Amino acid sequence: MPDQTIDARQLLVYVYDQLLARGTAPTSIDLAAHFDTTPEQALLAIGEANLGKTLMPNPRTGEIWMAGPFSAVPTPYEVAADGVQWWANCGWDMLGIPVVADRRVHIDASCTDCGEPMPFDVDPMQPALDVQGVVHFLLPARRWYEDIGFT
Amino acid sequence: MSLFRSEEHVDRWLQRTNRSKGAVVDLQTVWRLANAWYSDPRWAAWRPRTRDESQQALLSVGLTGEFWELP
Repeated sequence: MPDQTIDARQLLVYVYDQLLARGTAPTSIDLAAHFDTTPEQALLAIGEANLGKTLMPNPRTGEIWMAGPFSAVPTPYEVAADGVQWWANCGWDMLGIPVVADRRVHIDASCTDCGEPMPFDVDPMQPALDVQGVVHFLLPARRWYEDIGFT
Repeated sequence: MSLFRSEEHVDRWLQRTNRSKGAVVDLQTVWRLANAWYSDPRWAAWRPRTRDESQQALLSVGLTGEFWELP
């Protein structure tokens, strides 16, 4: 089996192509098949991309964990458009998905305190949202990247 | 960064979970921040933001002061 390296730029484009089309991040096996290399090389490419939260590996498995604003694993922040469903990393990133996807989306989220559903639509062309709510930033900005999963 | 119906719900949750309060930002401002922060990484001209560009994005929506100071 070929064992070639994956260019970080090509990796990034493919990951976001897949996320936007399918709603899920490609696994190392998917990446290996697409780039004609091994899953080990794919994991290496994910780990060495060095793009901060834009492409973050799962510290346990090395697979893609976050590709900001998308989460590769289920979260309470579900975003959907045109039959594709994504997970956002947090209450801020749920609003980043319509920006990256450049399309109107429906968000299914709920109040972290009481669990009351807070569904709403977001149109990238509209400056105002038709929902009331707040986002709580638990940590100051200087600590956001100490433990991004907790943040 | 968690979503709440209102600041009262934030306070209730903080009390119940014994956490300290950070900063509460209305969704409209977070929406403006998302627009300033994110772009499609597939664009040819895309590159990771520098620390100063990230700080500017926060500043552009009025998030200033020590709490919003990036390392």
